[in-house]
Amino acid sequence: MNKNTFGQPLSRRTALQLLGVGGAGAALTACAGPGSTAGATSAASAPATGKPTGAISFAHWRAEDKDVFAKLITAFQSATPDVTVRQDISPSNDYQSSALQRIRGGSVGDVFTAFRGAQFVDMVKAGVYSDMSKQAVVQQYEPSLITAGQQDGTQYGFPYQVVFNMPVTNEDIIGKATGGTPPKDWQSFLDLCDKLKSQGLVPIAWPGGDPGNAGQLFNSMVMNNAPSDDMCAKIESGEYKCTDDWFLTTLKQYQQLKPYFQPNSTGTAVEPCQQIFATKKAAMLATGSYHIAAIRALGATFPMNVISPITTSADKAKYEGIYNATFILGVNTHSQHQAAALAWLEFLSQPANAGEYANGTSQHVTVKGVEYTNPDLKALAPWLQKKTLLAPRFQFNNLDIRSAVEGACIAVVGGKSPDAAAADAQRVVDQQRSQ
Amino acid sequence: MTETLQDRSRRVADGEAPTGRRRRSAAARTHPGLWLFPLPALVLYAVFFAGPTIQAFQYSITDWDGFSAAFQNVGTSNFENIATNDDLFLGAATNNLKFLLVVVIAQTVLSLLLAVLLQRNSRSSTTLRALFFLPAILSSVSVAFVWKFMYDPNFGLINQVLGGIGLDGLKSSFLGNASTAIYWVALTQVWAHAGQLMVIFVAGLQQIPEELYESAALDGASQWQRFRFVTWPLIAPATAIVVAYTTIQSFKAFDLILGLGGNPPKGSLDILSTRIYTTFTNSRFGYAAAESIVFMAIIALVSLLQRRAVRLTQHGV
Repeated sequence: MNKNTFGQPLSRRTALQLLGVGGAGAALTACAGPGSTAGATSAASAPATGKPTGAISFAHWRAEDKDVFAKLITAFQSATPDVTVRQDISPSNDYQSSALQRIRGGSVGDVFTAFRGAQFVDMVKAGVYSDMSKQAVVQQYEPSLITAGQQDGTQYGFPYQVVFNMPVTNEDIIGKATGGTPPKDWQSFLDLCDKLKSQGLVPIAWPGGDPGNAGQLFNSMVMNNAPSDDMCAKIESGEYKCTDDWFLTTLKQYQQLKPYFQPNSTGTAVEPCQQIFATKKAAMLATGSYHIAAIRALGATFPMNVISPITTSADKAKYEGIYNATFILGVNTHSQHQAAALAWLEFLSQPANAGEYANGTSQHVTVKGVEYTNPDLKALAPWLQKKTLLAPRFQFNNLDIRSAVEGACIAVVGGKSPDAAAADAQRVVDQQRSQ
Repeated sequence: MTETLQDRSRRVADGEAPTGRRRRSAAARTHPGLWLFPLPALVLYAVFFAGPTIQAFQYSITDWDGFSAAFQNVGTSNFENIATNDDLFLGAATNNLKFLLVVVIAQTVLSLLLAVLLQRNSRSSTTLRALFFLPAILSSVSVAFVWKFMYDPNFGLINQVLGGIGLDGLKSSFLGNASTAIYWVALTQVWAHAGQLMVIFVAGLQQIPEELYESAALDGASQWQRFRFVTWPLIAPATAIVVAYTTIQSFKAFDLILGLGGNPPKGSLDILSTRIYTTFTNSRFGYAAAESIVFMAIIALVSLLQRRAVRLTQHGV
């Protein structure tokens, strides 16, 4: 028998057999089912209570709020010495696309946030949000502003920020042009744009090259045109079509706005739009109040407010504007330090701390009893009492459908006919629904 | 009797002839212990490549959302939808094809032209080669941000220059023009990588013996004829590398597209890799896996066709 110093020889045939068996085993393992390898969805439970201890991660996408959160963390850690908080910040686009997979692993995001809409729905479905319904912290929030953190009667998270997703105005210019009375119908709005244009200004800076920000105008454009408030959900469910009259009317109105946007608007990113607005070359910036802090950082000192184009006649307008409640805070069901995570969330929910966040970032919050000292927040505070619609574009749970519908508006500004743009969008909607 | 490795090596080194069939085969056989050496690489390959590839096939026939334990086996319907009922995938594939054609042709021609002009090792050539190579060391994200501002219709350098020389009519929205946007991205890709591929061509050109050019000159060959009958056939290996590399690069221009077009990009800028990423983001892992497999097949097919095309053009000269 052929032997050597390594003992019994391993023939090539045996080695290949072993590899074959190993490969078959790997294949069978893979066939066990994708869900089984990825951690099962679990029903939401209330977060564990007890003495808060440990190092926790706070996952979010607001890099611009990092310093304000750092101050709050320092204060929290002084009050709760057994807990440390680390911020895990991702750019918003990355957060939108990969946060769920990272958070459900449990290594980041003991406390985490979600965008309202598809991401929140997926996170609830994946079972990463703890059930907060019976926690005392619920009482800290304005009930009407935290519905976006509920699903099927359960309070999973707390939308922390209130933003107005409608055009920001330079009040020095708009106030003079309108005499202090904003347009109440579509024709008045077009007249205002005309007047601004005749003064050599860009009436509306619109970032048509940045679909995420360009889509914010969509909220205002459909809020009064659509037959119901859940218009986007109904487009997604197939009940409404992009070829319906109300949507075609919206597209035609985009076509009417085209001369009032900056030249070549479909190729303009959001930063140049901010620049045009901050340097007083544009009267409106069609994104939202969440950009006010960035505009101030560019050196703008003029007073700002928000405005929503009313696309109907005054008597048919149901809403004056748009708001969104987002940055939905939650405690991770996979967290090893749920008591500490809950303590941090409770800390953020105290009016004084929420106020520090709001005033430091120029964003309203959903927490009750907050005193706003920031002049921009004070200027926008009346909008909290006005008749506003929760931003409808976040009703879309399928991002491809949202892109197709909003893309139709951009295509019309780019020169496509409303009928063709609507038909193209509806075709994508139909395909997505049937897949 | 036990034969050690040293015994066998000594016997082979001494030129001893094997005495029988068994001895001959034993001498020729790879020692089984040597199978252990590739094992770490095989394990890594199995875990990080073979396993995920098998799983991609498995996911592709499901409607798995990426996190649920439950999923349905949908058979081939994902593939059927991709083939017959998905304008977004078709649009991305069309954009990718346009991008590929522009990049492969323009990048190959430009890098070859630069290489021919700068192949000598003079000081000026070396400096210029370094300058043209410079964009290759920038990350794609940096390149995207630089060009995003170049293409900006309001503050961008290109429109500013056009306006400055009185060509306002040529001002464009560049990435905002649905019919031409993908070509502008292709131009950026060419700018970023032509210098890198020039280096491969320079290496190929410097391998060609000078005598061949001298003989061609003696035979009265023109500059063009020297290029066509000497240079072009002899840089076939370099061309094959450049074309294959450019092709793969064109399919994977993911970060450049996201940097220039945002996430998710508009339909006019969507290519296959960004389309697959968007589908994953949309929590449609099963469908995205099916798209990935189709993507893999497309890359394989295009690479194969290109190899044949390069061979034909260079054998046919």
